[in-house]
Amino acid sequence: MNLIQFMGAVEIGLLYGLVAMGVLLSFRILDFPDLTVDGSFPLGSAVCAILIVSGANPWIATFAAILAGMVAGFITAWISVRWNILHLLASMLTMFALYSINLRVMGRPNIALLGENTIFTPIENLPYPHLYTMSLAMLGVTSIVLVLLYWFLSSEKGLAMRATGANMRMAKAQGVSVNKQILFGLALSNGLVALAGALFAQSQGFADISMGVGTIIMGLAAVIVGEAFFNPKVILTALIACVMGSIFYYLVRAMALNASFLGFQASDLNLVTAILVGIAMITPRLRAKILDFKSSWGNS
Amino acid sequence: MIRLTDLHVTFNRGTAMEKKALRGVTLDIKKGDFLCVIGGNGAGKSTLLNTLCGDDLPEKGTISIDNKDVTSLASWQRASYVARVFQDPMAGTCANLTIEENLALAMSRGKKRTLKRALNKDHRDLFRTQLSRLKLGLEDRLHSPIGLLSGGQRQAVSLIMAVLQPMKIIALDEHTAALDPKTAAFIVELTREIVVENHLTALMVTHSMHQALELGNRTLMLHEGRVVFDVQGKERKGLTVADLLDLFHKASGLELDDDSLLLS
Repeated sequence: MNLIQFMGAVEIGLLYGLVAMGVLLSFRILDFPDLTVDGSFPLGSAVCAILIVSGANPWIATFAAILAGMVAGFITAWISVRWNILHLLASMLTMFALYSINLRVMGRPNIALLGENTIFTPIENLPYPHLYTMSLAMLGVTSIVLVLLYWFLSSEKGLAMRATGANMRMAKAQGVSVNKQILFGLALSNGLVALAGALFAQSQGFADISMGVGTIIMGLAAVIVGEAFFNPKVILTALIACVMGSIFYYLVRAMALNASFLGFQASDLNLVTAILVGIAMITPRLRAKILDFKSSWGNS
Repeated sequence: MIRLTDLHVTFNRGTAMEKKALRGVTLDIKKGDFLCVIGGNGAGKSTLLNTLCGDDLPEKGTISIDNKDVTSLASWQRASYVARVFQDPMAGTCANLTIEENLALAMSRGKKRTLKRALNKDHRDLFRTQLSRLKLGLEDRLHSPIGLLSGGQRQAVSLIMAVLQPMKIIALDEHTAALDPKTAAFIVELTREIVVENHLTALMVTHSMHQALELGNRTLMLHEGRVVFDVQGKERKGLTVADLLDLFHKASGLELDDDSLLLS
């Protein structure tokens, strides 16, 4: 792997750190496995791209993308809590519908943003190597979101949200309106994912209808890899771990695809990802088993 | 003053599993009452408590707290009136939140939750003082996930959590049933202290006739969804478990055949 590939992986890893935090919010904190993200990531890209090519200010376009993602998450949550539909099914429905909506939004399967004014244009115009400045910009965005999210999750409102996912019955007994927490939490989660989609479109220079496929897997990979490595106990380390997990995942992925002796090609991506996530999911159990075995050995 | 009027609760209505859990329970709980509810399996004691807390909604009857009708309020909307300790120590606390986070959550029971930090120095000082009375050393473990504590320790913290904010009534749902006898005795003593100290109104469901006579000022027995007797004051003084069984026999016309009630 050369420097360009390395920095590229770091940059994408940081960007998908936003997705990872969104997935952490739904999957771990609210205990609501949410597949909507596969649709809200391209939704963010689509809304942002179409607004930019229509001449809108890129900041407004990015903001609109976040709002669109929040609406998508809200709809999933509403279907689930209002009509008591299983979370996975509710999110599948929204994800499925979003494909059509994204096509409608874009009006065509892809939009090129080359030469358009994006929020990264001022950074691209700096007299420093693009390679580093973009990664630094992503680091900035991801860090700001991480700090805001940490601040929210340690507030009274955030604590109520965490209790909702951890023990719904107890949360209710403490006066928490769990439905509102799920509605808002999923909106927040998908808003983050749509922000990632908008930033992806702007940094990569295009929006494409199929770019959301597997977003949930990337997010899960980041969360699970982060947990396997950092074993986070408090909310701040959980947030940092999932961003680190995301960077780590993209680095390993880049290495696997670039190591010629392994003989992987780009189309093997899903297989490589599935193996990586599988290993990360099995590792903690294996570790527990080994420790168990060791201690029982020691006692006998 | 808490007034339950003609409460009817039926589960699985219209199916073969239909179960009439409450069939017209009317009950006035005065301010400062400590009411112990006993009854055999399926008598409706847990349903009575769940209905008071808003987990089960009655199909008929009303519940009012200080003349405010709360019958149709969901459990979370009622949390400012009713504090609760569950039977299962795992149910009343969040295992993967820390001790201080659990307490902070209870700090805003019935209040509007803001974007202010849930934990600050004042809170921690208060939590430490409250926890130190338990003499379990928990005041030095504020940052530990509460899941690391034993069932008894978690019930003790649940009791502390319940009284962090004012309430109209504290609902205790067989909160010592899942504990070993020694720990149960500790929790019973703690309950008594906390209720007396804070002049609370309490409703405690218990499976132990001893407990039902020993604790509080009023004993209520349910049978098949109805109140079979309700004793307090002079009438209650000097009552023994044998007397209770006798009372039950007179009131219901049945011999009590539930060993669990006799043995406890």
